[in-house]
Formats: sequence, C-alpha cells, structure tokens
Amino acid sequence: MADDDAPSDSSLLVIIVDTNPNQRYITEDPKVLTNCLDAVIAFANSHLMQKARNELAVIGCHFHKSEYLYPTPGKPLDVRQIDGQYELFTLVEKTIKMRLVNLIKSQPPEEKPGESLLAGAVAMALCFIAKFRREATPGLRITARILIVTGSSDTAAQYINYMNVFFTAQKQQVLIDVCSLDKHLSLLQQGCDITGGLYLKVPSLEGLLQYLLWVFLPETSERTKLVLPGRGRVDYRAACFCHRELLTIGYVCSVCLSVFCKFSPICTTCHTVFKIGGPLPIKPKKKKMKV
Amino acid sequence: MSESSKSKSSLNLNPSPTLQCKDLHEYLKSRSAQFLETLYNYPTICLAVYRELPELARHFVIRLLFVEQPVPQAVVTSWVSQTFAKEQAKACEALSELSVWQEAPIPGGMPGWMLAQSFKKNLKVALLGGGRAWSMSSSLEPDGKARDVAFLDAYALERWECVLHYMVGSAQTEGISADAVRILLHAGLMTRDAEDGSAVITRAGFQFLLLSTAKQVWLFLQHYLHTAEKRSLSAAECLAFLYQLSFSTLGKDYSTEGMSNNMLVFLQHLREFGLVYQRKRKAGRFYPTRLALNIAQVRGVGAAPLAAPAQARGYIVVETNYRVYAYTQTNLQVALLGLFTELMYRFPNLVVGVLTRESVRQALRGGITAEQIIHYLEQHSHPQMLKSETGGIRTSSMLPPTVVDQIKLWETERNRFTYTEGVVYNQFLSQADFVVLRDYAKQQGVLTWQNERSRTMVVTRHGHDDVKKFWKRYSKSS
Repeated sequence: MADDDAPSDSSLLVIIVDTNPNQRYITEDPKVLTNCLDAVIAFANSHLMQKARNELAVIGCHFHKSEYLYPTPGKPLDVRQIDGQYELFTLVEKTIKMRLVNLIKSQPPEEKPGESLLAGAVAMALCFIAKFRREATPGLRITARILIVTGSSDTAAQYINYMNVFFTAQKQQVLIDVCSLDKHLSLLQQGCDITGGLYLKVPSLEGLLQYLLWVFLPETSERTKLVLPGRGRVDYRAACFCHRELLTIGYVCSVCLSVFCKFSPICTTCHTVFKIGGPLPIKPKKKKMKV
Repeated sequence: MSESSKSKSSLNLNPSPTLQCKDLHEYLKSRSAQFLETLYNYPTICLAVYRELPELARHFVIRLLFVEQPVPQAVVTSWVSQTFAKEQAKACEALSELSVWQEAPIPGGMPGWMLAQSFKKNLKVALLGGGRAWSMSSSLEPDGKARDVAFLDAYALERWECVLHYMVGSAQTEGISADAVRILLHAGLMTRDAEDGSAVITRAGFQFLLLSTAKQVWLFLQHYLHTAEKRSLSAAECLAFLYQLSFSTLGKDYSTEGMSNNMLVFLQHLREFGLVYQRKRKAGRFYPTRLALNIAQVRGVGAAPLAAPAQARGYIVVETNYRVYAYTQTNLQVALLGLFTELMYRFPNLVVGVLTRESVRQALRGGITAEQIIHYLEQHSHPQMLKSETGGIRTSSMLPPTVVDQIKLWETERNRFTYTEGVVYNQFLSQADFVVLRDYAKQQGVLTWQNERSRTMVVTRHGHDDVKKFWKRYSKSS
C-alpha cells in the first residue's frame, strides 16, 4: 500500500491469535493449540530478529473479550536468561504464555462459547498502531501490518464491523494478512484484498511455522521481490443487514447503501421511508389511427 | 624511438583519503573462514550476522533454517521473481562470503545449498532457546544500589565525550588511559607531534568526530580488536562478548562470575569507554549502557536518530539561506561546526555560522565528504527541524533541499578529474612504429590516452610490462 520502495527503519507487527475453544481443530485435539501457539511465538520472535528496531504486539482474541498478550500494560516481567535464547525472546515467550493462561481462565464458565470477536481485535490492533505512530520519533519510517491467525469459520454476523476496520486499515496504510487454519474465510479474504495483504489457508497444521515464515515474515517492500502464493479470486459478496447472509443480488438503500435480502418499506439503518410506486403504469396502447 | 625515454607519472591516486568505516559484514568478510567458523559457535554472533544480511538473504536463511538436507540451488532461485535476479545473486554472494551456507551436492548431481552446521544450530538456539546460557550468568540477588536508565545514559555519554574531548585536546576533561591513546594512535586518528611527542588530532580524526556516536564506537572497537591480539586477547572472544552486551537489556545488571581473566580485562576497557557501568572494579556486577546496545545497529543509522538520551538532543538549525544556528556551549561541537562553516557570531549558548562555498571546499580539501557533512547536520538537527515541513517537497532529509543539493554540488565540482596511474610512451621515430604500438595497446585494453600528432601514448601501469615486451620483439624483428 505504501508508496515507498525503500525498506522502512522499523516495522510493527500486530499478531491476533484466535484462542476461541470452539474452533474445530481445538475441539478435535486440544494439544494442537499449544503447537500452534509455539509456532506463532517462534514466528513473532523471528520478526523481532529481522531488525533491531522491529516492534511486536500480540493480541489474544476470545469469545468474551480480546486482550493484549504482549506487551504487557505497565511494567514488563522480570525475566532473566535461562538458556542460550536471546533475553528479549524469552521475555516474549514467557509473557504471552502467562497472559494467555489468564485470558482463558477469565472466561465465564457457564456461557457457551460463541463467535470470536475478531473485528474488535483488529480495531484494538489499529488503535495500538495509531498510538505507536504518534509516539514514534519524528523522521522514523514505520510500516505496520496485522496478522490474523484463526481457525474459526466464516460468519457474516460481524459483517459491518469487519468492513469498518478493513477500510480504516486501508486508510491508515496498514496491511492485514490472514492465516486460516481450518476453513476458507471469504470475509477476511476481502479484508486482505482491500488492504493489500496476503491470504493463506494452511493445508496442514504440522508445517504452520514454515508457512508463517515463508509467506508472512517478509516485509511489504520485500514481498514484491518474492514468489508468494497468488491472491486468487476474491469472493466479494456482501452480507445482508437483516439476516447476515451472503448475497449475490439484493436490495440496496439509496441513502445509506445498506444491503437487504428482502424488500422492506423502511430502511432499518437510516430509517428512510421508500415510496412505493406500485407496479409501473402500463402505457395504453395507442390506437393506430387509420386514415 | 624511445622506449627508454618513457617517463613514469606516478600520481597519488587518492589525494584526500577518506576515513573508512566498515560495517560488521565487511569486517567479517576480511577475516579468514576459520575465524568465522569459531565465531559461529556463539549464538549472539549468529544473531548479529543474521541482522546484517541483505533482506533476501535473510529470507533464504529463515526458510532453510529448519531444513536438514541440502536444497537444490534451482529451488532457491525459484523463490525470487525473475525481475530481481540481480538482487538475488547479491544475496547469495553475501551468504557465501560469510560462509553462512556452503555448496553441497544433492544425490542426483544437482548443486545445492546447505547452511553451515554451527551457524544453523546457534541461530536456532538464539531464536528458540536451548543450549548453554551466555557467559554472563545472571543469577544475582537484586542490586542494593540499582542504577536506572537515565543514570546509565548520562554515564555513557560522559565517558565517551571524555575520549572525544581528549582528541580535540580541550582542557576541560581529565586524561584517558594509555591504552585508549594507543588505540587512537593505531587507528591513525591521532598522531605524535614531531616536537614534544604529545598526541595531536589528524584529519582522519576530524572525520571520525563527524560520524554518529554508534559508528564512532564501532570504528573504535574495530581498532581495539586489531590491537587486541597483540595483548593476548582473542578477537573472537571479545567480539562475542561485545555482541552479548549489545543483545542485553538496558537497565539490568549482569554478573561477572565465570568470566575469564582476559574478559575481565576487556570489561575494564569497555568500562573506561562507557560501554558498561561498574560501580567498583571488583563489584561483581555490571550494567551495559546504550553505547554497547547500539553496536548492533551501525548499519541502520539513516535519517532517523537512535533513541538518544535526552542530553544528546539535536542542537543545529539549518535555514534555506545557508545559515546554521547551533545551540551549544561545548567547544568540541563548535570546533566541529567550524570545520565546514564560517562562524559569524558566538553567544553564551548559541553559535551562528554560514555555509559558504569556501568553507565547504576547505572541509572537502581536508578529506571530509559532502555525505559526512550532511549526515552530521541531519544527525544533530534540532527537534524543531524534525517537525518543520519542507514546503511540500518530499525529501528523505529534514534539511532544506537547496542546502543539501548545494553541498553535493560543491563536492562534485571538485571531482572533475579521475586519476589513473600510467606510463608515457613518446618520441617515436616513425609514425608506423607509433601506430603499431598504439594498436597493440588498444587491443590489449591497456591504452589510457593517445595523440597521433605528438606521437604520445599512455599505457596503464599493469599493461606496461606487456607492451614493453611487445615493443622489444617488434623492434628486433624489424
């Protein structure tokens, strides 16, 4: 998206990890989550390894709320080096694991897990990026991107929220990358297409880290030079505002552009009353005058 | 004719030597493969080397990191789109130069690449954990008198400025140790005065002062490592320790336990230059400062200043009318500014100067490059400059574009000559002789210049022997 060809001084990556327990791959085998999480942490650390000034944030996205896993608000954990790992990487790993346990423990016990609040998490990420840019040293060239790692299925319930964050991201020149672990996600794919990011559905979970490092690690300026999986065709169907179903043909409010699958006389979004003209008047056949 | 009357014109090829500042990549390139092999046993070095690699090379390394068998070269080529083949070749070359990867045949006869074992192992250790802890063990009880970041910054700056002040010979500081002086002399930044034997600054020294602090530290340490071997310190061990420091956390204390005697000596030297803080020589713990942390970032120093300590804020304002305002009180900074500006007024906290053709040319004559001048002005520009708009013109620099361009123009107007060493052949007896010899030289690609009317030709130095032999054969046969 950005018009610069030169690599930036600093690159900010916000990773959104979907930790919702009702994702299919977790319900089948809960241990896979740990493996995936390890892959994501290793990927996050490789991002920090690229350049000394690269920055990282990780957001955990659950069905009842989203929360920052890294960096921690307030004082960072006091972590000392235990083995040959770079101290900063140890800090990242420990912080994410600890905060994630807290997040999962805080889920209300009696509630049935609903949909992951991904759109909200993206909004949080955008806020984080905006704040980071505001506080950065003037003159520093920063690129920012968001990576969503999720195994949830596609629903249109958050359609409007999604579209809002996608277009905000586009305006802020923030790339959105999506790594789908399970099903094809057409809505998020639209977001990638809008913001210029990459969409990848991982064929197998075993090689997750390799896929992440291959496709999502290179920076924007680098991606043009590499051969990466093609964008492919994007399903641009919109969801109707009344039943959240994806439509090919529907009714659109002429004032606020809301989409509906059935005709209604009053727009539910902007309350415009549509005049119904009734069936078009049939022009009376002109009688041919015989002269 | 007169092959005998050839006159050698040996010109000084490089009339004003410019200070060379190698980055880590170039430094390592100049060392032996064996030396590199020992270095790659340290996870920190692997991490630092990885960061110094070109972008595409980093991509290759990270993709090969978890692959155990050699990968065909054709496959590696297919990762990059065709239009960037040149950059890819460069990346591959960099990886081979630093022996990060080696050629390895694949069953089937295709050439393949494979990461060096020790590099792969230790990069993985740095990234994912495992292995032994770095030598600075960190099992320490909390320091009773812990130092905060601001204190460390102030300390580092004070120590480093001490060295700089010593170089310009200003009287406002105490001296520095004999070791440091020896390094400055060795690096050619200072030289012994012919009369009284005291150290005085050289031109290279002034160029050194114009560099950014991170670069200064790195250059200084490079020379330190050169002299280290003479003092029975192992350069590999020192370098590994330096990078351990650079990957440590600011504001945390580390223990000296388990460090060898040599390393303790090295630590004391680093302490003197302000790279680490230690309360007492035998304190048993030390704090790395920002100077040490910045070693790893020498390359990234572009327009943006590092997260500099508050005291080192920029103080220079440059206006489009070539005036330079510097809010400073130290003589060092005034002296540096005086290298390339004509100073006009001096107030207690402000110096006003103007960049003129004469003043800049004088600096250029002293071997300072335009790039160095611009970079110095950029690096120390006042926060107000960073905020100001450049009138809708998009530039990478926050300086007025006119000034930047003009300084560059002043430099290029001096570079109208290119110097090549050569041998003159003249006083040929006949035109035919001249033509034969000239054509021969042209054929060999060693002819620099010729003039038929005066029967004069200039041959490059390395081509001279060949042409001379040819001439002897030719004159004998005819």
